Amino acid sequence: MPKPIRYLLYVAVIVLLAYNSVYFKKLDEVKAGTAAFDAAAYAKDFWEKKLTPGLSKAVELGALTAQLKTEKDKAFEQHSHALGIGNIRYFLVKGQGIVTDVSENEVSVKLADTGESSGNVRIATEYIFGNAVRDASGQIDINAFTNSMDFNNVSAEINKLIRGKVVPPFKSEVKKGDRVAFHGAIELNREHLQLNNIEIIPVSLQIEKP
Amino acid sequence: MPQDIHPIAGDKPAADRRPATADGQSLTLQSRFPIARFQSLIALFLLCLALSILSDKFLSFSNLWNVMRQISVNICISVGMTLIVLTAGIDLSVGSVLALCGAITAGLLKNGIEIPSQNLYIGFTVLGAILAGGLTGSALGAFNGWAITRFNVPPFVATLAMLTVARGLTMLWTGGFPISGLGDTFLFIGTGWFLGIPVPVWISIIVVALAVFLTEKTRIGRYIYAIGGNESASRLSGINVNKVKIIVYTIAGALAAVGGIMVTSRLDSAQPNAGISYELDSIAAVVIGGTSLSGGRGSILGTVQGAIIIGVLNNGLVLLNVSPFWQQVVKGLVILLAVIIDKSNGKGE
Repeated sequence: MPKPIRYLLYVAVIVLLAYNSVYFKKLDEVKAGTAAFDAAAYAKDFWEKKLTPGLSKAVELGALTAQLKTEKDKAFEQHSHALGIGNIRYFLVKGQGIVTDVSENEVSVKLADTGESSGNVRIATEYIFGNAVRDASGQIDINAFTNSMDFNNVSAEINKLIRGKVVPPFKSEVKKGDRVAFHGAIELNREHLQLNNIEIIPVSLQIEKP
Repeated sequence: MPQDIHPIAGDKPAADRRPATADGQSLTLQSRFPIARFQSLIALFLLCLALSILSDKFLSFSNLWNVMRQISVNICISVGMTLIVLTAGIDLSVGSVLALCGAITAGLLKNGIEIPSQNLYIGFTVLGAILAGGLTGSALGAFNGWAITRFNVPPFVATLAMLTVARGLTMLWTGGFPISGLGDTFLFIGTGWFLGIPVPVWISIIVVALAVFLTEKTRIGRYIYAIGGNESASRLSGINVNKVKIIVYTIAGALAAVGGIMVTSRLDSAQPNAGISYELDSIAAVVIGGTSLSGGRGSILGTVQGAIIIGVLNNGLVLLNVSPFWQQVVKGLVILLAVIIDKSNGKGE
């Protein structure tokens, strides 16, 4: 095939691919179609109207770990939420226990023996990151968001609320030997299940006075 | 460049290249026991037999298709890795490149590109996003090849650097968050079925067919074997070694991108930490498949067998509830065993 015709074919293919690959719009038209999203307001609203009322549905952590040991699939099916089909899934949990250690980054708690199972867990008090709380609730639908940045910003704002409102009053008072009650989110890997080092991202924390 | 020169090992099928005695008799275990040629297949058969006895779930259709879907990604990456290893190179960056390409594809599809100074929004169709992801992988692969050939950097070091760079770029692009909700059309790539077979399996079949054609039927395929067999001799024979290496690394980058797009589609989410340690599974598949890490010997179909063995082994260990920590130990031992057997057969010289 002569070179000019070959190059012409290359150009035609590239133009065809490009034409079917991208489209152009005015940015202000796109922005107008999607009003500026206020992630902080959304997170606050979600916290007050959905997350806090939904805490009553949180599963008892001791009972959950007991079920995970005997009926793993059923436990994941009944109590976990996640986006997509990966092995990482999130649970909204609650529990009580005795504080065994207080460090800069976390508070270690020995769960109260509920008769079904007991164990040690860690309540994060410094590094509150990730999507555990947002996804564990199962009450935010990703399809309601026009772009993933907004969706991710909701998570960041929820974590900010935890860092700003939930952790400070607890962290300033908690000490070894205290009896605490908690609600929070945990992340478990369905394929590589580890139940001996569970970290809780707290949603509510109370120190129970004797 | 001479058109008819196929120096060193490049003029014979890889499987036929073995040391021989003065009277032309091969000394290898393979020649004495032809069954050893099929060691990977035999190992796979025995593995499947053992797992089907030990777990009643192993032979279920849903599990086997699930295994095939998972293996498809490793096959794509490992095909690229095989081409590189055949040239006596290595690519440690495939896992990170996979993650970056998946993230770029997902990000462009979901968010497009905004250029406020021009009041312009560039949206991407599924085709456009996939092409962008593929081009990114190709470009990073080409950069690996260029760095290795232009500055004579050992492939291990150059691709180790790219591993970190690509992972960092993925974090920057995603902000450390997954990009999810990519639409049904895109999901079809990772979760769809065509003619009763999962789409990722079709993709891996096409990739393998093209790679077999490349290595067995084209001049560049022969050059790849030749460079791995003896780079200096290849250079003296007129082969543009640097060009071939850059092409090979570019192909490997593109295939990592294919893997990244498949993973992203399957999960409906581009994860910033996707693909971590994929390079190890990929190298394991190549080694178990009989490709010599010193280059020049091996085959794409051997790597496919290696990838299937790794995938079945992973699946079997999970089904048998083996601790993840022991799974790593077992996989490591299997790789070591494969290399030892390979050496004893004379292929790994």
